[in-house]
Amino acid sequence: MSHISQEKLQEWSKLGHRTVLGETLEMLAAENPRMCTVTADLTPTARLTGFKEKYPDRFFDVGIAEQNLIDFSAGLAIEGLLPFVVAMSGIVPMRCAEQMRSAVGYMNLNVKVIGIEAGVRFGPLGNTHYGMDDIAVARVIPNITVVCPSDPLQVHKAVRAAAEYEGPVYVRLTGGPGFPVLYPEDFDFQIGKAIEYRPGRDVAFITTGSLLAEAVEAADILAGKGISARVVDMHTVKPLDTDMLDTVFKQNKLIITVEEHSPIGGLGGAVAEYKAGFSDSPRQVMASLGDRFQKLGDHEFLLKENGLKAPELASLAEKSNG
Amino acid sequence: MVKAVNGQLVEEINRKAAAMRRNVIEMGYVAGDRGAHFGPALSSIEIVASLFFGVMKYDPGDPYLPDRDRFIQSKGHACLAYYAALIEAGFIPKDLMYTFKADNSFLSGHPSRNMKYGIEISSGSLGNGFAVACGMANAAKMKKENHRVYCLVGDGECNEGLVWEAVMNAAKNRLHNLIAIIDRNGVQLSGRTADIMDIDIEAGWNAFGWEVLVVEEGNNAAHLLDALIRMKDSRSGKPHVIIANTIKGKGISFMENSLSWHARPMNKEQYEHAIADLENG
Repeated sequence: MSHISQEKLQEWSKLGHRTVLGETLEMLAAENPRMCTVTADLTPTARLTGFKEKYPDRFFDVGIAEQNLIDFSAGLAIEGLLPFVVAMSGIVPMRCAEQMRSAVGYMNLNVKVIGIEAGVRFGPLGNTHYGMDDIAVARVIPNITVVCPSDPLQVHKAVRAAAEYEGPVYVRLTGGPGFPVLYPEDFDFQIGKAIEYRPGRDVAFITTGSLLAEAVEAADILAGKGISARVVDMHTVKPLDTDMLDTVFKQNKLIITVEEHSPIGGLGGAVAEYKAGFSDSPRQVMASLGDRFQKLGDHEFLLKENGLKAPELASLAEKSNG
Repeated sequence: MVKAVNGQLVEEINRKAAAMRRNVIEMGYVAGDRGAHFGPALSSIEIVASLFFGVMKYDPGDPYLPDRDRFIQSKGHACLAYYAALIEAGFIPKDLMYTFKADNSFLSGHPSRNMKYGIEISSGSLGNGFAVACGMANAAKMKKENHRVYCLVGDGECNEGLVWEAVMNAAKNRLHNLIAIIDRNGVQLSGRTADIMDIDIEAGWNAFGWEVLVVEEGNNAAHLLDALIRMKDSRSGKPHVIIANTIKGKGISFMENSLSWHARPMNKEQYEHAIADLENG
């Protein structure tokens, strides 16, 4: 991979995942003539203006038409191109789930779908713009890999890894402007291989996406109270890293899954499905957006409302650990 | 109006069409109680035959031939016509046709991508095949490849909003290498298209920027071949659509224009009647 400087990481952290995405796509286009970007009228929002200007022949805007967004890209992939579909996670994949199943999943095509602004990041825009179900929709489709990176460098590496991976991938992006750098140095990122971000013997936070930062802070709070919390960055929700889960099942007595998503069908659901096969696995508590539509509010307000900020996660662990 | 085309080629297409109709009946009958979409396969026989045996370039010995013309059957429920053509073209060994809809067979009731046998894409959830075909044509144009993409679309299928999303985008991108053929047989699953969603297909595709040609006798190979050649030779720069007015269930007396033969099982008596119809031609 190309080297990413500390200055660049700080800039990406400040500007949010959309900027990381836009710049990474341009790097991929420079390296791979088959790579192209497809969007449905989201060019400035998704930071694709630079790509469009530099690679006009490999940039497609299908208009506000998400079903065709996916099928058109499927056609490009069949003919050997490497399409990156960029869309809002609250619209895609739900709006075009059937195209993702019948075309992309069923034919196992090399289409990469990037869902930006997942979770409740679009706060004031309201519930139609929240991505609370996208992991569930993507995860239920056979052949589709689901990746939810956690910080600026991991977003970059996940998008790169998706390009190198043969087959369909849904990359879910959370973390707006100001999302913290959690990986300041280069690190090994492999799709399907979770990262033990911090060891711990009591509670295990298993997180996906940018909420990793909240779990790390919660672990700090718990350490001050004598509770040892492991933090696992489960950046790939499908396929789950079951080796990592087996270790957690053996060594921790409480699991808290943390995600900016519905508890149904997301990380919590995936872990619970795997855990159901064990007669003596630890208790699991799900920290999530709940099975409900949200109130109106900004991102921080909604995370706090849903118990997804560090103090609330620490309290949940403390309460559940007893 | 229709000009004279190569008489020998038309004869060959008609011979292939007759063989394909027979294949459709044999495969549909062997499916037994599992039934088959007879009506929509039979209406499209001359269209598919004109493509495979009149205009398309391909090599059954090399299904991945880079400059082969692509055939996408978006109205996937009419797969029997597609399989029948692939058998006659040499992609699918004839003895395998009796596995249609059988357990563990690759010949499913809607096509599943299988390049070994020349099946380019999975289709059947309506609208998707056409939209994927548009993407394939766009890729070919981008890569400056000279093959064409032919896509068979149903008239009922034009109810799908996705069809119009793709129609818009193909016109915007001036996909001159794309030729869609609409099998306008006038009947969809639960009734006549005029009763279910009465739209002016010709005006619609025209308004969205396609070059449109109507073939009044859509089961006439000479007329279809002429239309296909005209579209291939066109320099309009637009994507092309041929609207072929066909007869649902064409060639089998008790199926023609019937509302009840969209999809159903066929019994022995009906099978014998159908074979007699074909033999009496």
